[in-house]
Amino acid sequence: MSKIILIGSPNSGKSLLFNRLTGLSQKVANFPGITVDVATGKLASAPDLSLMDFPGTYSLQPISGEERVATEYFSKALDDPDVTQVLCLVDITRLEKSLYFTLQVVRECARHGKRALVVANMMDVLARHNIEVDLEGLAAEIGAPVLPISARTGDGLDAVNDWLRNPVENRSENTALAETPDTLLRGTAHQLAGKYGPRGDLLVKTQARLDSFFLHSALGGFAFFAIMFLLFQSIFTWAAPAMDAVEAGLGALADTVVPMIGPQLAKDFTSDAIFSGLGAFLVFVPQIFVLTFVIGLLEDSGYMARAALICHKPLRLFGLTGKSFIPMLSGVACAIPGIYAARSVDSPMKRLLTYMAIPLMPCSARLPVYTLLIAAFIPNTTALGGLVGLQGLAMFCTYFFGMMTGLIVTGLVSRTREDHYTDLPFVLEMPPYRLPALPPLLRNCWNRCRHFITKAGSIIFTVTVVVWFLGYFPNYGADLGASWLGQIGQVVEPLFDPLGLDWRYGVAIMTSFLAREVFVGTLGTMFGIEGADENMVPLVDQIQATGLPLASGVALLFFFAIALMCVSTLAILARESGSYRLAAKMFLAYSAIAYLGAIGVFQLVSLFTG
Amino acid sequence: MSTSLWALRAGDQGRITGFGDALAESYRIRLLELGFHPGETVSCLQAPAFGAPKVFRVANTVFSLDDEVATHINVETDLA
Repeated sequence: MSKIILIGSPNSGKSLLFNRLTGLSQKVANFPGITVDVATGKLASAPDLSLMDFPGTYSLQPISGEERVATEYFSKALDDPDVTQVLCLVDITRLEKSLYFTLQVVRECARHGKRALVVANMMDVLARHNIEVDLEGLAAEIGAPVLPISARTGDGLDAVNDWLRNPVENRSENTALAETPDTLLRGTAHQLAGKYGPRGDLLVKTQARLDSFFLHSALGGFAFFAIMFLLFQSIFTWAAPAMDAVEAGLGALADTVVPMIGPQLAKDFTSDAIFSGLGAFLVFVPQIFVLTFVIGLLEDSGYMARAALICHKPLRLFGLTGKSFIPMLSGVACAIPGIYAARSVDSPMKRLLTYMAIPLMPCSARLPVYTLLIAAFIPNTTALGGLVGLQGLAMFCTYFFGMMTGLIVTGLVSRTREDHYTDLPFVLEMPPYRLPALPPLLRNCWNRCRHFITKAGSIIFTVTVVVWFLGYFPNYGADLGASWLGQIGQVVEPLFDPLGLDWRYGVAIMTSFLAREVFVGTLGTMFGIEGADENMVPLVDQIQATGLPLASGVALLFFFAIALMCVSTLAILARESGSYRLAAKMFLAYSAIAYLGAIGVFQLVSLFTG
Repeated sequence: MSTSLWALRAGDQGRITGFGDALAESYRIRLLELGFHPGETVSCLQAPAFGAPKVFRVANTVFSLDDEVATHINVETDLA
């Protein structure tokens, strides 16, 4: 099958064009080791041709390691004999920023004997301003045909389809370009942009007006908080019912399937291992879908760049960039969509730092653990003359502690790294405000969910089954305390001794690796209380009755605020970063800090409380 | 008057005269690729408070640059 590469600079409307040309027949693959997708789809007008949507980039001369991988991948694709054509998209209204890249692409096509077709997008904007451009003249200069289109209105796409199906030979025209080095190409691009670029003011006045509002020091800040609040709320108001539905659906399915199974062991395995394992990762899918959708809306509308600008200065203090904010905010709901959202951080070093910060954000899975511990150890009284509830204050402090720790970690790590100048500069294109197009947005949400299920699901499922196995045998689920897991807990009890905790807490901590909130249910089981995850009161009473010291409670809060006890986060971190080593290193480092810090906290609080 | 791009306030214009020596070569190249050529006129569209990155327009494209980059771009504000 013949392949066509679609390539273009960022914000030139590439996703929309890809969607227009391929319809719905797409699949997405990752670059090995980096977080860039290459979607492939059959051309709707010619199913024997497949179109590959390459990541948007400003240049084929890479300045970061990641850009180098993407550029090399492009070169490698050009060596593929099946690749016959390259479709290079330029935003005609902003020819200056895309022409150098276009010339590089045309040159590479000439070097590799591939046909190049340049497509000038946004012709509708020029028409609105009654501006004409000499595309034939431009085509003659760059040595490749240039076709006018509007990806938004669909104008000109028939001609593009016709060309792709029956390309006219144009390889020979590019020979002069094939020898031109980058330095000369830059000058040529600048000159051609001046000669053929549209003359006149194409900046929509509304962009300036909207920017004066969204970047205003007071109103812009207010709008920012309102939009971020809505983003955060969307996870709870839109995703939560869907998550409940996934759980209920799986529960109903289990109730139907399990009674049909004969032997008790197979029954338990199906109900507790298979269905729990499926539930363990399927429950995240609605969150990922909703957050990808909302973030996509922000990106496509043009607001994301403004939000990054607003957050940049304060986050730079901690080695991060403005683009780190939304992934970190998402991390307050759940680290998994947060890690996905970190794809928008284009600087590899800053993305790594963002990855480090996200698991320290106080995610919603920590909430049941914090609620239990605070209810058990912090008196339900008020302070400051009745103004502040002590338990609420403790919750706030724990949340704040997690966020600050995230920033401190990135601040420290960024200062130990010396690869500052191999990183990308903060030069962020501010795209015009646009109404987002729904089909590419939904396609992206679907691809993201599919990626999660296929890439991380298997890891999460396997770990869930292993933990079930250890907790079930050798006494067939009769007593968790006497299971292999319980026995391991007793063996490693000395580890939890410095925190003033016995082996039952150790077992609960070990199972919380599946998901932090499992700590509550497991601890309930260890104390012989069923349904502790639904109603914590009997468990709170039980913990208080055992006389566990306050120091242990605070140490546990500290431990859970830091420790990366979440197999799903680790799985997706490994997949997204392309590095199992990074996930392992982060798990070990945060476990060590959490454990040693918790011992310190235990000692400190013990000093004051006796 | 010769100054840095970062010194422009909202509404100011300047013509790029060159890049400071302290600017990394890779950053300089990327700026050239995006259209920040010597001789090009740049206008500052927004200069948000608290030292946030400023918003500049070059040709028909709008970019936001922070002080780490913009202080190393030299401009001439006397365009006459």
